[in-house]
Amino acid sequence: MITNFDKLCGDLEKQELEAPTGIASPSTYAQLLAIYLYQNDLCNAKFLWKRIPQNITSSNPEISAIWAVGQKLWKKDLPGTYQALAAFNWTEPVANIIRALEDNIRERTFNLIGRSYSSISIDTVVSMTGLSKDAVLHVCRDRKWMLNEDGVTVSPTPPTQPAPLHTSSEDQLFKLTEFVSFLEN
Amino acid sequence: MFEMNTAEPMQVDVPPEDNENNETECYVVENPTLDLETYAASYTGFAKLYRLMFVADHCPSLRLEALKMAISYVMTTYNVSLYQTLHKKLAEAVASAGLPDVAVQMGSQDIPVLDSMWIESKTKKAAIKLEKLDTDLKNYKTNSIKESIRRGHDDLGDHYLDCGDLTSALKCYSRARDYCTSGKHIIMMCLNVVKVSVYLQNWAHVLNYVSKAEGTPDFNEVPGKDSNQSILTRLKCAAGLAELATKKYKSAAKHFLAASIDHCDYPELLSSNNVAIYGGLCALATFDRSELQKQVIVSSSFKLFLELEPQLRDIIFKFYESKYASCLRLLDEIRDNLMLDMYLAPHLNSLYMQIRNRALIQYFSPYLSADMRLMAAAFNRTVNALEDELMLLILDGQIQARIDSHNKILYAKDVDQRSTTFERSLAMGKEYQRRTSMLILRAAMLKNQIHVKNVGRDTGPQSGEAPGSSTSLTPRTFDTVPL
Amino acid sequence: MASPLEQFVDNVRTMSASGSFRELCEVIGKSDEVLQRNTAHLSTVLETLDIQQHSLGVLAVLVAKFSLQQGADVDKSTMFKQIHDFITNCNGEQVRFSPELYAELCHQLTNYLVEIKQPIRGIEILKKAIRKIQLFDSQLTSIHADLCQLCLLSKCLKPALEFLDTDVTGIGSELGGNNDSKHFLLYYYYGGMIYTAMKNYDRALYFFEVVVTVPAMVVSHIMLEAYKKYILVSFILHGKILPMPKYASQVVCRFLKPLSAAYHELATSQHAAIKHRDTFIRDKNMGLVNQVLSSMYKKNIQRLTKTFLTLSLSDVAARVQLTGPSQAESYILNMIEEGEIYAMINQKDGMVVFLDSPEKYASPETLCVLEQQMAACTKLHQYIQEMDEQIQVNPQYIKKSVGSHDEDIPATSQNSKTTYSM
Repeated sequence: MITNFDKLCGDLEKQELEAPTGIASPSTYAQLLAIYLYQNDLCNAKFLWKRIPQNITSSNPEISAIWAVGQKLWKKDLPGTYQALAAFNWTEPVANIIRALEDNIRERTFNLIGRSYSSISIDTVVSMTGLSKDAVLHVCRDRKWMLNEDGVTVSPTPPTQPAPLHTSSEDQLFKLTEFVSFLEN
Repeated sequence: MFEMNTAEPMQVDVPPEDNENNETECYVVENPTLDLETYAASYTGFAKLYRLMFVADHCPSLRLEALKMAISYVMTTYNVSLYQTLHKKLAEAVASAGLPDVAVQMGSQDIPVLDSMWIESKTKKAAIKLEKLDTDLKNYKTNSIKESIRRGHDDLGDHYLDCGDLTSALKCYSRARDYCTSGKHIIMMCLNVVKVSVYLQNWAHVLNYVSKAEGTPDFNEVPGKDSNQSILTRLKCAAGLAELATKKYKSAAKHFLAASIDHCDYPELLSSNNVAIYGGLCALATFDRSELQKQVIVSSSFKLFLELEPQLRDIIFKFYESKYASCLRLLDEIRDNLMLDMYLAPHLNSLYMQIRNRALIQYFSPYLSADMRLMAAAFNRTVNALEDELMLLILDGQIQARIDSHNKILYAKDVDQRSTTFERSLAMGKEYQRRTSMLILRAAMLKNQIHVKNVGRDTGPQSGEAPGSSTSLTPRTFDTVPL
Repeated sequence: MASPLEQFVDNVRTMSASGSFRELCEVIGKSDEVLQRNTAHLSTVLETLDIQQHSLGVLAVLVAKFSLQQGADVDKSTMFKQIHDFITNCNGEQVRFSPELYAELCHQLTNYLVEIKQPIRGIEILKKAIRKIQLFDSQLTSIHADLCQLCLLSKCLKPALEFLDTDVTGIGSELGGNNDSKHFLLYYYYGGMIYTAMKNYDRALYFFEVVVTVPAMVVSHIMLEAYKKYILVSFILHGKILPMPKYASQVVCRFLKPLSAAYHELATSQHAAIKHRDTFIRDKNMGLVNQVLSSMYKKNIQRLTKTFLTLSLSDVAARVQLTGPSQAESYILNMIEEGEIYAMINQKDGMVVFLDSPEKYASPETLCVLEQQMAACTKLHQYIQEMDEQIQVNPQYIKKSVGSHDEDIPATSQNSKTTYSM
């Protein structure tokens, strides 16, 4: 199972550029499009979609289905995104990327809710994450979001920051020395 | 001042912005409490005529009276064309006031009739006088007596002014300059030019000649002397007027505050009451609390001016005592009369706005948080209107605060100096990088002599066209939503 | 007796062998006509030359072979392959003696690919071609513009970014001097368009600014188009039109403004977008204009965050003229996601609380960012110092600066190395 999408992305891009007639295989296009979406690189996804020859898009419904997802993402229509994700029966290797994409979107959405809301109705969370109500309540518990007394809203808390990266003090000292020597000269 | 000095002598003022233009032309004052008789008595010459015309233009209820007074005054001069203009206006006013034409024809006592005899004789007399002055001047010139030539120019200028030919008057007065033999003459010349320039609303010119007069060597020699005091006051008033007209309210205030009441006799331009109002309002709009206290409230000389305008004095004191509600109410009360002042009217809105803003800023300055409901009451406003006003002040950086619209509380913003410093230095670093890489690129461009020039190599219809004129540029579509 | 063509081949062989490339360039310059006249035999000539050893010769023949002046009857079927092989295998040091010819070949390839509507095929070759001719990474060549054009036409923009992201510090000789500035202008214009498409408006503005500030005696259409986009991007980024830098040529300032009045009107009137719709559509800028409009809402919301601590969603909608609280909520949510504002929405009360940036500048990341920024500034500073030193020892500069003291020595240099004033 491939998990390093960045490397795969580079390979696919190369495949496209080196295609003898300038046209890559449908599978290349499909994967690349899905990966751009996974990377949340909507601009490149949009231009890829625009440059895929029409005969390929019309004969490969999967590519159109991927872009259906991209379009919803572009419009920031989260409920629509989940619908588009569920509307197609994905095949490998795209299915793998799509799964990762869906998880990614959901994770980002939960983080965004945590950062942006002090209170939000559970129904909104359900539509923003495309999960069932039970699943949402479960995630809320995991994230320690309090359910309010009214029973319909929760109070999200901001996501915890990832642990700060550590640089060696020697390295810092080196940089500081460099800087001071620059100022002195 | 320096900028003004470098301006062309005859430079035309920058036309005022459009929106303002409309504002000054369209309004109508309904219920002034102005006593026109007293008002007009404070002025002579063009000051009187212009001010009366301004009142006539903007106040229907005083229109007839103002025009009549103007006509009777203009008949003491040689200004035939203005006489005709005024009569035209009068006819219009009469027509629109709904008076039957018959009344006019019957020579109703009230309405003066256009006197064509007067026009004819005045025109003739003016021409005769002009010819005489002209020949006089020529004689002086042949005899080359400097002092006489100077006077000749001045006399001619006076006559042109009397006829209403401002541009020619300005020319004559300016020509006198070459024949000035003493500092006093120069100052006289400057005053003449200043006066006409004010009439012409050429404010750059006014300031230019005011500073010329002030820079004249003799000017400062006998400071105690009355005549000097009176000249100084005239210059200050003229400069104040020019600064006011060019929206430099603070320096206008300073000029007016420097006037001396005992020597304030300048009916050709303005009255002592004008000095009080102009100076007081400009100071209120632009001075901070301590400036207001030192330079206005305890100023022994300006106090005398303020006594002429007790309402304004009350306003300034109320403001200083932080009684903003009554201060603003009083301001509103005198508003109508002030809108009939030709020099103040175009600036009244912005002066009032600045005074109001200053009041809001001062009101909030001692607080960490303020209840906007109380604040609104203190300023005669609804809470929502106050919110809008505060918003603009905050965006403008005049109040460091933020509005809690939910609880209607204004909170002073505590600025985290450390974070701001970081933020600023990072922004500065980015800007430096941008500019420097642009600089390096530009250096490379110059080094390689890259510039857009005429492509003259192939002679043909396209020669002379810049490159790229027929380039087939690639499609440029950046649709927001892909479909 | 040898035919001129044979003589040419001979020259190429001997001069390449002896390494007299400069002389060879001169010969090539004069052989243009010979080559043009013998198009039929050029393929045979190519077979006798070796790409690696006789790179300059092969280059000259290829350019002549595919030269556009020949008309439509040139056989271009082998063109792609031949140029591809040449660029892959040629000797970089040799071709650097004739960057004009080398660039010409790339232009020919570009035009050909545009013509047959397969622009994407040229991207990899041109990347290789640029890398091969460049003396250093930050050197601009006239091939850069071709690459950007192909990227735009094929809608495959990503490959151009590695070049666009490098700030130019030097310019290939084929771009300047007596050649017109078309490729220079086009590179920055196309680059600006690519960045705009990638929504990297900051860089886009930089690129458009370069175009409009190129020293100019006349105004190029490229400049005009760039200026229009400069205005639009400036709106999106700053909410207003940034003034042009002072060093922009006078003729540019004088002509561009009246020619782009519709764009200026966007600043003052909300109806300008509708009023000048036809103009914007004709200029193919309507997409950007729409983005300007939507960015205005964002700018207004940002203003609100500066003045308010709390505000109801319906007040937000009313103050920035959105249709209702739910639209306001979605705008705010998007802006939080983009990091454009900091706020907390309370759905229960329908309120939004605006917060200050949570950044306290106390984290190791801040240190890291600071260090990077300082390093970048230091590097630039050092570069400027180097440039300064180069000027100090430049003979012309010395002559000129001495000349100003001593009038006997006339200052000769006019254009080169004058000033870095901006």
